[in-house]
Amino acid sequence: MIEVEQLSKTYQVADKTPGFVGTFNHFFRRKTRDVQAVRDVSFTIERGEMVGFLGANGAGKTTTLKMLCGLIHPSAGKVHVAGYLPQRRQAAFLKQITLVMGQKQQLIWDLPPLDSLSVNAAVYGIGEKEARYRINELAEMLEIGEELTRPVRKLSLGQRMKAELLAALLHRPSVLFLDEPTLGLDVNAQARVRSFLADYNRRTGATVLLTSHYMADITALCSRVLLIHQGELIHDGALDALAASLSPFRQVRLELNSSASPEDFVGYGELEALDDRAVRLLVSRSELTVVVARLLANFDVLDLEVNDPPIDELIGSLFRKGRVV
Amino acid sequence: MGRYLLSLKRFWATALAGQLEYQANMLIDLLAMVGSLAGSIFVLSLFFGQGRELGGWSWEAALVVQGIYTFLDGVSSTWLRPNLSAIVTHVREGTLDFVLLKPIDSQFWVSLRIMAPAGLPEIGLGLVLIVWAASRAGASLSLGTSLVAVLMLFVGGVILYALWFVIAATSIWFVKTWNATEVLRAVLASGRFPVSAYPPTLRLVFTLVLPVAFLTTVPAEVILGRAAMPMLVLGLFLAVLFFLGSRAFWLFALRYYTSASS
Amino acid sequence: MKIAGLSWPVVRALLVSQHANMVQYRAEIALWALSGVLPFIMLSLWSQSDAGASFGFKGVGLARYYLSAFMVRQFSVVWVVFAFEEDALLGRLSPFLLQPLHPLWRYVAAHVAERVTRFPFSVGIAAIFFLLYPTSFWLPSLGQFLLAFLAILLAFSINFLLQSLIAALCFWSEKASALERLLLIPYLYCSGWLVPLAAFPDAARTASFWTPFPYLIDFPARVLAGLPVDLVAGFAAQLFWLTLLLPLVLMAWRAGVRRYTAMGA
Repeated sequence: MIEVEQLSKTYQVADKTPGFVGTFNHFFRRKTRDVQAVRDVSFTIERGEMVGFLGANGAGKTTTLKMLCGLIHPSAGKVHVAGYLPQRRQAAFLKQITLVMGQKQQLIWDLPPLDSLSVNAAVYGIGEKEARYRINELAEMLEIGEELTRPVRKLSLGQRMKAELLAALLHRPSVLFLDEPTLGLDVNAQARVRSFLADYNRRTGATVLLTSHYMADITALCSRVLLIHQGELIHDGALDALAASLSPFRQVRLELNSSASPEDFVGYGELEALDDRAVRLLVSRSELTVVVARLLANFDVLDLEVNDPPIDELIGSLFRKGRVV
Repeated sequence: MGRYLLSLKRFWATALAGQLEYQANMLIDLLAMVGSLAGSIFVLSLFFGQGRELGGWSWEAALVVQGIYTFLDGVSSTWLRPNLSAIVTHVREGTLDFVLLKPIDSQFWVSLRIMAPAGLPEIGLGLVLIVWAASRAGASLSLGTSLVAVLMLFVGGVILYALWFVIAATSIWFVKTWNATEVLRAVLASGRFPVSAYPPTLRLVFTLVLPVAFLTTVPAEVILGRAAMPMLVLGLFLAVLFFLGSRAFWLFALRYYTSASS
Repeated sequence: MKIAGLSWPVVRALLVSQHANMVQYRAEIALWALSGVLPFIMLSLWSQSDAGASFGFKGVGLARYYLSAFMVRQFSVVWVVFAFEEDALLGRLSPFLLQPLHPLWRYVAAHVAERVTRFPFSVGIAAIFFLLYPTSFWLPSLGQFLLAFLAILLAFSINFLLQSLIAALCFWSEKASALERLLLIPYLYCSGWLVPLAAFPDAARTASFWTPFPYLIDFPARVLAGLPVDLVAGFAAQLFWLTLLLPLVLMAWRAGVRRYTAMGA
């Protein structure tokens, strides 16, 4: 469904001194340098697969995703999606794909989602009856109803994201590109979006490529992950294999009653941060229960919280130690 | 083609619904419109009196030019200004991506997505003024000249659209284009007067460089039955040229957008 | 000495920072200066019409009038309503209100800084005008120049207060900014920006002189162009409008801010 071969993207970044004179000079004597955002990336995704796309901010995730949609032209290499060359953005190709961006929205702000949906139906050439049927079907899966008749500006973030998904899926795309679809949502809304995506994939056999900051999105949905770092693909395979090397730790946050010093935490795990009475530790998964019990016994703990560390931080710590490269 | 028509219908239905959500400023818009038309007719009247003419145009004939200007200004407030300022917003907020991924021509979408009904009364007022002033000026419209007049109004609209659109499309490079559109508006205001009222050099500029002449003067000449064939052909040619130019410029801008944006 | 939170270090800091900000927008300001070409279009119309003869000054006098009108507009244009709306929308207003400085001073500083940045562009356009129309060249005498400077300064102040009044009304109604558009219409036609008031029929001219608008363009432009003008009456009218508007603006702002903070928006 998606074939990528030695894909690269090089941006020309202009070195321009700010201001009017700078612009003027820049116009005539262009000084640029190349920045390689994506380097020699190759992978293949089969029909119906759900693949997670990981990487720190600026690693090249969004650039790659946009090249797969046809929003950015590759500098080198080949991309085929559903048998098309994305950069041509032919109507037949665009009807097969969809892009959801967690931080941007396509719904009309002042109108109920239904109005935006009717525009999309017309643009995609979906008949009125058929559109109504599809809206009902998707609304049921997403568990929204009367929200569709309320102006978008009055919806909560979670409701808005569901409506965005509905708008993005009305034309029944067979390839879904999701860029941070759960960004900013509360835990419940995240879980619902996740279960919807799994359900949609199961029902329609759509191919899904997804980026997320939340490890839980990836673990819940994707059996395969692509990890990109500084524009290069450095892992392509099962999630388990990555999780073992990437996330053998959990993050423990403590709030203590009295200040502590770094030496106090020797033997508990890796100390990530210590700010007077707020402590952050990375603790090996296997020792978590024991360590938490010891922490509670040995310190005057006001508050304790165990999290999966955010992917960005994990990947950051990974590269600092050079474990993957 | 049917898909484009249906899309257009839905575009304007939702745009209308959106406007009615805040049906605020309606009265103020109307007042502003009437006030500015009255003011500009007042200024025009200062050039007449005591049997004087303006560039060979009688008072009534010059009012036809005013009427066409008002009509085109209404068209700008209804379609051009709101859509083209939406392009700037799309670029700034990155939602142009959504437009580019729709299986519909992107220039069609960004040019016609919105309709602001506040400009419609001005279109009506302009038409009334055209018809009234033309009959006062003694014009007799046959079916043939009416059709040519409509065609030349369309030509004027296309040229106006292309000028606005190219400026709006530059927002892909420079995020702010507000001041550039102000310059355009100031120059277009010269279309309130028949082009023959200007000195010869300006007349040439307004015919060939910034074809203001084809926006108002030429359609008025057609209505008054004094149009010259070569001007009509030149107008048609320029409209096609400007439209194709705007198209080429948009594709060029998109090529830049898809190769340089991140 | 402090006036509404203003002291010399504050003035300096405001002007320096606003100027640095405006320099960033040089290209924008150049375009904006260019968008004031309307008087030149009007001048080219009059130059072709013999209607100009009926109101006394034509030829060089008229050219100087329109160039002066252009210059006066360049240095008296005000955009407080727009800046205020943007600040309110982006939530910058609340921090401004907390500072021990009247928020309007910030806008004054922005305008002064913009004038400095705009100056070379306006002078450049005037130079091009003289190149195209060399017979119209003149340099005002020092006395004339100082009087014109004062008249423009007062015109700017009246403009600024008018817009500040509308901006203050925005505390009550979102639609208040639309009033700006309404105000622009009499400004366009009664100020002498498009046509010198001398060209008006007597009744229209008399009526216009009861509004503040002729003192915003026509009066300063005549002073600058060295055309016959009643200096005492003009300055008196400018001062009258200033003393009328200033307390109104201050009262409206005080009441508006009280309302704004009471709603906790």
